[in-house]
Parts: sequence; structure tokens; C-alpha cells
Amino acid sequence: MERPDQQSIQRITHDTDILIIGGGTSGCLAATEIKEKYPHLSVTIVEKAHVDRSGCLAAGMNAINAYLNPGETPESFVKYVRYDSCGLIREDLVQSMAELFEYSVKKVEGWGLPILCDESGNYAPRGRWNIKINGESLKPIIAKAARDSGAKIHNWVVVTDLLMSGERCAGAVGFSLRHNTFYTFRAKATIVATGGAAGLYKPNNAYDAQHKTWYSPFNNGAGYAMGIRAGAEMTSFEMRYVALRTKDAIAPTGTLALGVNAPLVNSKGERFMQTRYAHLGGDGAPTPYRAYGPIQEVKAGRGPCYLDTTHITDEQSRQLKMAYLDMYPSQVLYWAANDIDPARHPVEVQTTEPYIVGGHCQGGYWVDIDRQSTVPGLYAAGDVAGGAPFKFVSGCWAEGILAARHAGKEVQSMALPEVDHLQVETAYQRCFDPLFNHGKVKYGVKPYDMEVRMQKIMEEYAGGTSQNYEMNEERLQLARKYMDQLPGQFDQLVVADMHDLMRAHEVMDRVVVGQVLIEHLMARKETRWPSYQTRTDYPERDDLNWLKFVNTRRDRSSGKIEVLFRPYQQLVPGDRYHPGAKPHPKPN
Amino acid sequence: MPVIVDPDKCNGCHNSKQPPCVRMCPGDLIVKDFQTNKAYLKYFEDCWDCLPCIKACPEEAIRFQLSYQMGFFSASLQPHIHRDRQNITWTLVDAHGHKEEFNIRTKVLEVALDERIEGEPTPDFSI
Repeated sequence: MERPDQQSIQRITHDTDILIIGGGTSGCLAATEIKEKYPHLSVTIVEKAHVDRSGCLAAGMNAINAYLNPGETPESFVKYVRYDSCGLIREDLVQSMAELFEYSVKKVEGWGLPILCDESGNYAPRGRWNIKINGESLKPIIAKAARDSGAKIHNWVVVTDLLMSGERCAGAVGFSLRHNTFYTFRAKATIVATGGAAGLYKPNNAYDAQHKTWYSPFNNGAGYAMGIRAGAEMTSFEMRYVALRTKDAIAPTGTLALGVNAPLVNSKGERFMQTRYAHLGGDGAPTPYRAYGPIQEVKAGRGPCYLDTTHITDEQSRQLKMAYLDMYPSQVLYWAANDIDPARHPVEVQTTEPYIVGGHCQGGYWVDIDRQSTVPGLYAAGDVAGGAPFKFVSGCWAEGILAARHAGKEVQSMALPEVDHLQVETAYQRCFDPLFNHGKVKYGVKPYDMEVRMQKIMEEYAGGTSQNYEMNEERLQLARKYMDQLPGQFDQLVVADMHDLMRAHEVMDRVVVGQVLIEHLMARKETRWPSYQTRTDYPERDDLNWLKFVNTRRDRSSGKIEVLFRPYQQLVPGDRYHPGAKPHPKPN
Repeated sequence: MPVIVDPDKCNGCHNSKQPPCVRMCPGDLIVKDFQTNKAYLKYFEDCWDCLPCIKACPEEAIRFQLSYQMGFFSASLQPHIHRDRQNITWTLVDAHGHKEEFNIRTKVLEVALDERIEGEPTPDFSI
């Protein structure tokens, strides 16, 4: 494709009842739900890759990790998630998604997803909240349902900004990666479902393995950034996700810990979770502690740490490999290349760089029970929505469905909001600036250069892996100072084609998200989620002052980030630091 | 480089403007070179190892290998999708040449050789 210039860019305006930004697992379920409940409404999905294999599920999944197995209830789920998230969650959001686990899983099973069953025909559990699936093709199966529902799908369109009509969201603009087109999507309601943010911190590996990340490296936090720019309130970014993963392959460890009951051990063979963290639940301690524990072992000179699989049989080892082939094939190749057999060798683990992901932790849009953000007409679902951790795949489905139901109802008798011309022109200019800079800006900045600069700041001053994820006020002040320099350099970004234009927007979005993240990290003056959020100057949890949500809102005109606090509400009674009893299912 | 298109096996999916590997890559990293009529991983340093490109290739022309820093690439892992599209067989060869096969149930959907792109301007023949 020739380098596009001002003259060669065509403009397309597309009007729709409901716009869905991001055709991942949440967006596709939202689309099918709207078309099912409100067939007369027009639905448009805008996706920066191809819906068939875009988003987190590109490689597949081997389990649904949020499901109510026999005997469990939405309340017992809330209790467990509250415990796992160190006593602070939006209980209303977590409960409402749990109420839809069965509905959404049955729906996707109906579209053809193979779910493993036991001899009596029940879903085969893998741990308390998990069921096993053969989900290698999970994403194409969902995408096909979205396509068949009648939703219009625009693949390879990168959304750069939301459109506003007064205080109401009125759609979005973006550009095509495949042809020189600027899109204006005008909508009565907009659902953001872009996923969370990877790539804010220095990656674990360099060169051609820099994207050997656990979270999708293509999830750059675009949905957060567009909402932040539009003045939407964000919550809990400070609960970053630091994942305990297999060494190098960075594959999920639930397959080992839950699949074959592999305990964490240090290099001395000691089950340190059982000894040092027994009071927190040992190997069943809340997820942040299962990352924190190994980090402390390595710090104390007792690393590396492992998930001890040496008790398993050869057949179980083979089953493990099959489970990984459905989700993380590189794990299997890594073992084969490095002479590792999980039946004979414990599997070494490490922690990843921090991510912002509302599906595992709770950083994201502050939403109400219908998944409406604080901007009217703008909904958020899936990893981009905050307050509801432990979503994983099925919770993202549930949220897409909840947003869809309410948005569908809301737009019934609504006219398309007006969008003024000037706003679209400003967004057009911002969209293509790095491209139009080509030949104009003499010594420009490449997107990759800015990305590395940003990752260096975040890594060293805002609690990256090399800093054991620790931070204090003084370091965060420096992080803020250096990150605040970057937006002033956006006009120096220069690219020559649409692919690199996408990269330019990805890094600009990441900078915006990083700036907000720093404000969250500075605001919470306690350590609630060790390793996710370790404040060396406030090392203890402080329920008296900090059992509340840290939220932020960026002023649309001044760009100033304001910190707000929102109260926590306990809806399900019980000890917030106890996982709740596991119910005994009645025998059939 | 985590995945590599074997130029001896790739036929560019004939006249396809956007072969399956190009379309299925979630990072927009694979392009087709119309001079050679072959696809290649243009942005190899951005690959996520997620393998939709390999699964969608009708010629099985894309090889999966670890980045060299992750261990020597003599080991290999290749998926083969059965004709009934209900099963996928992975062939694993370890560093010593020992071969193992894994057959797993799935539901692989058909991927067309090419696809019309929404919003693409229709060619203007009026000149």
C-alpha cells in the first residue's frame, strides 16, 4: 500500500443503533444478545484485527474458570472472589455476572464449543470454579455466532477516539488498516469491549520474544485511553495484575495447580506457601499472595520456585500437554526443546510484568449494575470494565450480555445524537497526525522508541518486575514527572504506513493509561494487594482508612487527572477475609 | 522468530489478496509479498506465539518454532486439522528426535482463502 496522504484518504460515515468497540469475547456476546433480544436494532462491531482470531482468545482456552459448579451460588462466588481480592470488590457487579455464568456457557456450548463432561453427563470440574473445555477454536466459534446474528462487522478498523454529543457518547472514529479510510461511526449507544492493557511495563524477554507475554500484547488499553480522554471515571488501576506463570513460556499455571494439584515449592523443596503463608490459606491463599510468595523466596535467595508436578503419572503428563495445546501450545514445545517432563521435573515458575486487566483484577471503567460508565450512552464490558475481578472468559460474556440488554432497551425510542463537525475534524487530525508528519518532522520519534521510553519509566519508578513490583511515594513522583513529558512529544511521532499508525496510537494510549495508573498507585496509601500493589512506605493493609475504591477522572479540557474515592458496600454477609465454605453437592 | 513461513510450501493461496494467515494474525504482522506471491512474518519481533496463522494455513506451510533464546529450535510442534474439522492432531518432536502425537477434539471452522474487506472502495473503471 502506498503511503497515504491527505488527498488519498476517503471518509465513510456509518450510522448504527449500537456500536461495539472490540470484537473479542465480550463484544461478540454483546452483539448476539442485542440481535436476539432486539432484532430490529442495527449493531456494528469495530475490531482492529479479524474477529475470528482477535483478542485474548486467539490461541484458545482449556477451561472456563468462572462457573458455578453443583452446590455453588452467586453469593458463594462473591464470598470467594472477595477473599481472593483481599476484601475489596464491587459485590453488586460480581454477583450479577455470576448469575449469568450458566446462561452464557450454555449459549456458547450451543454454538458448538466442546465442553468436557464426566460419566454422569455433568460438566467436568477442574477446581472449585472451573470446568474443562476443548477450546482451541473458542474464538472462531463465538465470532461466527456474532456474524450470523446479523451484526455488521468492520475488521481491521482501529478506533482512536470516542465522539461526544454534549455529555453523551455518540459513537467513535477510527481508521482502516486495509484501505485509506477514516471512519465516523455515529451511534445511539456505544459498548467498549477492547480488553485491558499489556505493554505498559518492560516485557520479561527481549528481541523476538518481547511479546512472549501472558496477556495479549495487542491489548494496549485503547478502551481505557479513549474513555479517559472522554472524561469517564476509572477505578482501581492500582490493582495491577502480576501473574504467576511458567518460566519463559509464560503459560497460565492454573492448568498445573488446579489440574494436577501441583503445590508451590522453592529451590530447597520447601512448600513455602504452607509454612510462611499458612495463615493466609497456604497454597489456596488469595491470588496476589501466590505471586508475592515466590517473589519473596527469590528475593531471599531461595529461588527459583516451582510448581511441583513430579507426583503425576506419565499419562497425566500427557494429559497436561494436551490441556496446554488447547490454550498455550508453546508450553509443550518449550518442554520438548528443553528436556523437561513435568512427571519427572518440577515446572519452574516466574512472575510477569504488570498488566491492567479488569477480568482478573479490577482496573477499568467505573460502571453501574447495567455496565454503564459515568458517561451517558457509554457502556463497558469485559476486561476493560472495573470493579469485578475473577471474570475470566465467562464473566466477560456475562458483562457483554448485561451491557447489551440495557443498551438495547435504552436506545429503543432514541434519535441518533448530533455530532458537531469540528469535533470530527479534530479527531481526524489527531488520528492521522503521525502519518502526515512524514516528511514534515525532520527528527521524529518512532512508536517503538516511545514505547521503550515509557516502559523504562514504568519499570524503574512505578514498580516493575526488576523492582520486585515495589514502589514508594518518591519513585512514583519521578514516574509521574517523566511520564508527563511524553504527551508533549506525541506531535513528534512519525510513521509511514497504516500498521505503524496503529503502533503510534497504541503507544499514545499506553502513555495515557500509564499516567492514570501512576495517580492510582500514588493515591492508595496502604498495601492491599501485595505484589500487585506493594507500597514500601505503607506496607500494611489499612481497612480503617482504605476500604474504599480509588477512582480517577481526567478533565476533558484541561487534561488534569482528579482522584476521587468511592465507598465499598458489603452486600453478602460474612468475614471478608475468608473464602466461604465449599458447599457439599447433594448426591444425585 | 516464533513462526516462519516456509517459502517452498507457501503458494500465496493463489490469487488471494489476503490469505488466511494474513487475516487471522491478531497483530497484523503477516503480509503477502505480491512479487514473490508468498506470505511472510514481516514484524517477527511482535509475534505472540498464538498460532492462528498455522492452523489456518491450507498448505501447512508455516512452521512453529521457539525464539532461539527460549531453547534450541530442533524441537518442533505442528498441528494438523482433520478433514472432518472435529479433531486436531499435534505432532511433537523433542530435541532428541523423539516423536509424540496428541489428538484433541475441537470444532475448527472453515477459513476461506480470501475475503472481501468491509468498506473497501470498489475499483473505478470509469477512466
